[in-house]
Order: sequence, then C-alpha cells, then structure tokens
Amino acid sequence: MKAEQPRHIGARIQRFEDIRLLSGSARYIDDIRLPDMLHLNFVRAETAHANIVEVDTSGLADLDYPTWVFTGKDTAGLSMKAHQDYPEMQYSEQPLLAEGKVRFVGEPVAVVLAEDAYKAEDAAELVFVDYDPLPVVGTMAQARDPESTPLFEGWNGNVIVQRQMKGGNLEAAKAQAAHVIRRTYRTQRQAGVPMECRGVVASFDTASRVLTVWSSTQMPHLVRTYISEELGLPESRIRVVAPDVGGGFGVKGQVFADEVLVAWLAMQTGRPVKWIEDRREHLIASIHARDHEHTLEAYVSADGRLLGLKADITVDNGAYSTFPFTSAGEPGMVGKVLPGPYDFQAYEATFRAVATNKCAIGTYRGVARPSAVFSQERLVDDIAAELGLDPIEFRLKNVVRQFPYRNVLGFTYDPGSYAEALEKIRELLADDIAEAAASRNSKTRRIGVGIACFIEQTAHGTPDFTRRRVPIETGYIAARVDMSPDAGVTIDLGLQNHGQGLETTMAQVAADALGIEPKDVFVRHGDTMTTPYSVGTWGSRGGPLGGGAVHVAATKIADKLRAIAGHLLQAKPDQIVLAEGKASVRDNPGSFIEIRRLARIAQRNVDQLPEGMTPGLEAHASVDGPADGSYANAVHAAVVEIDVETGKTKLRRFVVVEDCGTILNPLVVDGQVRGGVVQGIGSAMFEHFVYDSECQPLTTSFADYLMPLAPEIPDIEVHHIETPTPLTPLGAKGLGEGGAIGPAAAIANAVANALEIGVTNTPLNTDAVWKLARHIRGQA
Amino acid sequence: MIEITLEVNGVSKTLQVEPRRLLADVLREEFRLSGVHIGCAHGACGCCTVHLDGTPRLSCLTFAAQCDGASIRTVESVGGPNAENTLQQAFKSEHGLQCGYCTPGFIMTLLPFVEEMVVQKRMPDDAEIREAMSGNICRCTGYHGIVAAVRKAVSTGLEAGA
Repeated sequence: MKAEQPRHIGARIQRFEDIRLLSGSARYIDDIRLPDMLHLNFVRAETAHANIVEVDTSGLADLDYPTWVFTGKDTAGLSMKAHQDYPEMQYSEQPLLAEGKVRFVGEPVAVVLAEDAYKAEDAAELVFVDYDPLPVVGTMAQARDPESTPLFEGWNGNVIVQRQMKGGNLEAAKAQAAHVIRRTYRTQRQAGVPMECRGVVASFDTASRVLTVWSSTQMPHLVRTYISEELGLPESRIRVVAPDVGGGFGVKGQVFADEVLVAWLAMQTGRPVKWIEDRREHLIASIHARDHEHTLEAYVSADGRLLGLKADITVDNGAYSTFPFTSAGEPGMVGKVLPGPYDFQAYEATFRAVATNKCAIGTYRGVARPSAVFSQERLVDDIAAELGLDPIEFRLKNVVRQFPYRNVLGFTYDPGSYAEALEKIRELLADDIAEAAASRNSKTRRIGVGIACFIEQTAHGTPDFTRRRVPIETGYIAARVDMSPDAGVTIDLGLQNHGQGLETTMAQVAADALGIEPKDVFVRHGDTMTTPYSVGTWGSRGGPLGGGAVHVAATKIADKLRAIAGHLLQAKPDQIVLAEGKASVRDNPGSFIEIRRLARIAQRNVDQLPEGMTPGLEAHASVDGPADGSYANAVHAAVVEIDVETGKTKLRRFVVVEDCGTILNPLVVDGQVRGGVVQGIGSAMFEHFVYDSECQPLTTSFADYLMPLAPEIPDIEVHHIETPTPLTPLGAKGLGEGGAIGPAAAIANAVANALEIGVTNTPLNTDAVWKLARHIRGQA
Repeated sequence: MIEITLEVNGVSKTLQVEPRRLLADVLREEFRLSGVHIGCAHGACGCCTVHLDGTPRLSCLTFAAQCDGASIRTVESVGGPNAENTLQQAFKSEHGLQCGYCTPGFIMTLLPFVEEMVVQKRMPDDAEIREAMSGNICRCTGYHGIVAAVRKAVSTGLEAGA
C-alpha cells in the first residue's frame, strides 16, 4: 500500500547525487589512498590452455626497489567455489592464482606488489612463466565432443551441466500442429563494460583485527560473506565498502577471486594493497556475457495459435563458474523464460552450459533474456512469415490476456499490459510500417520495422533461488530508517547505488511515508558497517524490494509518530495524517503538531511520550521477492534503413512502450530504459568478443570492442503504461534491465523485415547486413 | 626525471616527473584532482578529457613532461564544489548522467562546444551535438540526456546573451 496521498513518489525530482558527480568530488575506487599502500600488478596467462612448468621470479632480485611476489603455490587451496547443488553439475573451482594449469588467456598466474603502480607494472614484466600447451577447447561443438580434453581433472567431457524443464503434453501439441517451424539462433559473446574498470583496496588493522575491503562492487555484503568463509575471519571483523561505483550492469554483480586475493595479500604483507584493473584486463578477464545457441521448434495450429515449443539451449560458459549465480544460471534462465508473454501449455527445454578456454560468463543486464528474447521474437516473426500473417496480429492472437496467469512451467504472472502495449506500438509505428512496405520495390535502399514483445521476471525472491539451488540463496533487500531529533531522516540501505538514482528515489519513498520532504532524507549505502545485510543491487530489485523495504520501515516510524501525536492532540493515532512536516488531525487541520517537534519529543523530551512508550525513532525492514517474482512487460520497436549496396544500417527510430508498475521517479525510469536500450543496441549491432582458434582474444581494446557512440544512436522514445502489481509494497515492478532485453530482437526483426530474409545471428554489423542483403543485390 | 611547472586550475606547481608519467596520473596523484577519470588509458573513451591551454585533450595520452609551462583546467574548476556551471546544471536537470564516471570528460569536451554555439548565436541540431561528443563513451544514459543538456545549456546561453 502506498502513502495515503503520494506527493513525492511519481514526481520528476532531480537527483541529489548529481552534484558530487558533476563537480569531480565523487570518490571512486581509484580515489582510495592509504598510507604505506602497495600497488598490485597481475601476471596473467598468455596462453589459453597449458600446464605451468615453472614460474620464474628470480628477475625481481635485480631490481633496486622492494617487491613482493606471490604465485599459486602461496595461495594453494584458496579458490572461488560456485556450485549449483545438482548431481548433474561437474564442479570447477577457480584458484585465486593458477595452480599447475591455466584455462584462459588473462587468468591470474602471479602477482607482484611494489610501492608505486608504475614500478609494480615494470616488475611484473620480469616474471617469466614457462607453459606446456594443451589442446584448446574453443567452440561449443568442441566442448560437446566427449573426446575433447577435459578442462578439469576428473571431468567427463566438457559439458558442465545439462538439465531439462518441461510442462504439458508436447507430443499432443506436435500431433495437433498444422505447422512445425524449426530454427537455430545465435547471440554473440559480449559484456556490460562499465566505464570505470574494477578495483580493490584492502587494509588489515592488526590492533582491532578488522579487515577493510573497498571494492567497486554491486554486492558488498556478499563479498564480505565470501571473504569470511574463504579466509576464515568472522564477518563481524570484515568491513566491505563500495565507494562511488562507475557503472556495474551486472559485471560487478559477482564476487571475484581478486577481491579475496587482495584481502588475503593485505593480511600477508601487513600493508594496505591496491589493485586497479586496466581496460585490457577488464576486456579479457573480468566477466563476459551471453554467447548462446538456441534451436527452437514451434508447433502452430492452422489458424495461427502457438500450441507448443521445444528448445535446445547451449551456452559457451568459458572456463570457470562464477559466484553466486554459477555457470548453470545462464542456460537455466533461458529454459525458464522462453515461454515469455505467450499463452501455450506444452513446452520442453533442454539446456546446458559447456566449458571452453575463454573468460567466464557472468551476469550482464538482462541475464540470458536478451538472448532468449532474441530467439523467441525472431521465431515469432519467422512463424508469422511462414504463415503469411502480420507479426503484430500473430502476437496479439497469442499473448496472455487474463491475469493472474499460470504459465506452462507453473510460474504465475501478475497483471500486465501485453496486448495493450502491442496495440500502442502498432499505432505509434503505423507510418513507418507503411514506408517499410513501400521500400520493398527498391534494390538499393530498404526500410524495415521490427518489434520485440517480452516480459521480464523482476524482483526475484528467495523461492526462486531455492529452486535454482545456487549460492545466492536469497533475494531480500533490507533498509534501516532513522529519524533524528531534528526530524532529518537517514536511510541505511542494503542496495548499492551505481547510477540508478537510489539516493533520490528512496528519499522520495521515505518522504511520502513520513510526511516530510525528500531533501531531508539522507540515503547511505554500500558500506557493510552501516547498512543491513542484503544481496545488493542487481536483477531489477531496487524499486520493488529496496523501495518496499524503505516504505515498510518508514511506515513503522510514521506509526510511532502518529501514536505520539495522537497522545498529544487527544486524537486516535489512525486519525493523524502526516504531511508537509505536520501531524494533523484528519478533518481538523487546525489541530496539528510539527513532525520536528514529535521527533524531538521521541528522543529528548521523552517525558512527554505516552506512558510505556520506548524512546527512539528507528526501524528495520526487509522485503523479499514474491514467490515467482513480478513480471514487467514491454514492447520495443526498431526502424532501420539499410543501404543494400554497402550494408550500412541506420537505426532511424527506436520506440519503447513499457510497464514497470508504479513509477517512483519518471526522470530515473526514462533514464534506466534509455540507457538499457542503448546497451541493447550495442548487443544487436556492434559488440562482440572475438577469439581465434587458439582461444586468443582479439578484442582487447576499445578500438576492437565497439560500443555505441552518440552519432549512431537516435533519440529513444519512451511511453509508459502503469499496471501496479499487488505483490510488492509500492506496486512497483523492477525496471533496471528491461531496456537491454528487447533491442537485439527488435533490430534483427527490422533487418529481417527490410531484407525479407530470416536473420539468425547477432551482431548485425555492416558486414553481416551486407551479407544478408546479397539476394537483393542479385548476387548468388 | 624531468622538472616541469604546471598551472592547474589556477595553482602553479613545479615537480619532478618521469618522462613516461601520464598527465592523468600527475593530475590525480600530485594535484589530487579526483575528477580526472581514466576509462581506457588508450585514448578511446574520453573519460580523462581536460583542457590543455584551453583545448580539450586526453590526459591519458599526454605525458606530463609534454606540458611544461602549460595551463590546465579540470572539471573541478568549472563550477566549483556545487557544480554551478550552466552545462553542469543542465546535465542535472536533463538527467545527462547516471554513474557519473564519464561525466567530467563529457563536461570538458562539451564546454567549448557550448561556448562556441553561444558565440555563433545558433542552436546546433541534434546530429551536430552528437558529433561533438563522438569521442566520449557513456555506458549509462544512452546519450539522450546529454544531448538534451547541451541543447538546454546553449539555449540558456543564448537567452543570457540576447
């Protein structure tokens, strides 16, 4: 339930965090400097798969400055363990520093520390590693070959995990089908690539025995728990701080081996240790994402009803399993979400992760869903094309319209606006659709319109992770709200803010509950010493769960303020309204007391409190995700213009109709949607991590890994439908990831529409589109 | 070691630097200017843009030793601790930033562009604005709010000059 009369929730308030970011006074990880600090430089694997014969560090002895060097022999036994608790999974561990073997280019083999960052880099070049190369496992096909060299001892082949999900009677659906449409779709390897690289600083205080770790992370509490378990220190003696974080996008939403390693090194050396990742390290050895192949088979009735779907899913996971979502997370998510917004009741998905000699796959905005929706929505357009139906009509015929809806896997969808969003997009794109049709006569210039209709399970809660049996285990977000005697409010928030505007939106939520102004609310986050235990910011949970927790905690304080005011004004607490800094008796606005006065009474003039009431205005609350999450929905539309002769593809228009339930702040919501969309455009058209046949990375700088720049991007048009969910305290659904989920599908459908040809792969860069347009140029 | 003198945001300092030391590192470490951000260290993202004798330059591709006697401005000098410059305020009102990491580089790249448009007394079209920022990467905003901020700052400048 929202505040009686929301004044601040839903308002387009400018962000409070902007001033420090604009003035240069923000403090990111590289701005942490400690006395006597040592700088760390990694020696990383240069070959993708090899036994380590020797790590020769003798060259360091010739230097005229002190260095410290550590190899896998020093860190033996310390590792990242990220296992899904299913017997089918072959376990892998990533040692903090390679032990005996390297499994991808960029894997840390040794570290060199020095008192100056330049010197540490110089010294690291003197470490010589002798490798005995092993055959690489470089492709999905190689990894699925039972004869391929296993990446880990004791493994049987390189399939990490293969499982199934099913519902309904697929054989019956197939028997009933008039059309069977089978396609294979491929989405490439890419990553979130925040503008700030990662970095870790750690310091161990021998007097208090407190380890402090600063890390550019989205999940400080999980970093604390992992370090505690791996290094055997009590969590009460570990403080993890995420300072200002320069973008995360899921990349920083895992616990990394280097976070544990830097903490361990601070304890080993007795000196603070700092590591700042450089861009090459980030591109080859932090986290990659996507890299999927899906073969789908749809069963469709003569009148264009989707009856059933069969899916076979493979994800090229790279070498290691990441904590806490594991290498089972990505393929499992595809299997779970492929039914999407469509109403059909027969389904079977087989999904697997395979190990190759590449950087590990982890989370990136949308997590598997940009790939899943690419395949789902390309398939829907391919079906419509085969049946000669209008793609929007086909979708309108098949989308879920009755809520709550129980899908083929038993997940319950809360109310959404799937059909309404489709109708709206059709209206907005009418002129473009007509222009695209007219361009079919041209052999040189084609216009195409494509849409993607999708849902996104947001605000995943504990039941979801219990089903998945992965180490994340839970999904709740907590907040502690405190009103001071001067009526200023502090929120200690379990979320971590790295661009989402939480210092503003959470203040709006608290202000509404307490009848004060958002500017009087100070939001603190990212420091485990001050904030209540939570899983951090990822998976579209900030608004629904973080906002929910702030609302519930602030309401507890509001209830106490109402009780005190009722006592002083001789009214019942439920007759007291908190608004505009006053506690007033309902229907009697002349009878009021200032909230500022109540706050003082509650904590200083406590003799005026009702008898038996304890002093203080402090409350804690946590909100977990609903059993099946809450489903946001959207339709994305892309309009492309293709030069058939060159393949040059101009994105002329991109339109979003989205529904994330209650909007906390439209400025922030629009910003999240637009930013996500442009990352999705990068997925669709530009970004690709390329490896050669020996698994050497070929995209190691921003000259090779191409992200969208301003001139390629049109204004992103955003339209909202607001269907509040009954499942979260404010009616909000998650929206952080949605923008990034639809663009690959919408743009691919637009290219397919323009060129009248099936599109199966991303990225759709100039070269790819030029090849797809061959038939129009009249080439064989 | 080479002795150089830099005037940074109005403060002059003479220091000894290694020839290879990057201007970005000298500004961050010796002048303690945390608004200079390093995004790629290979001249492709624009995060580290500062003004060298009035012209936007990538401080990650510039050696400090090249800058002896130069006058340097960083984002800290633009609108003070409250970010009071018109362009900074427009970034705020138009939501031209999210995580803020690329923001100082965008501000330093776009300030001369905005000033030039005001001098020329004209409102640039969106394509021109987007071209002006094509050497800077923002991963959060999708550029929409930054384009709007430039438009707003130019318009504020034009009104003030009218």
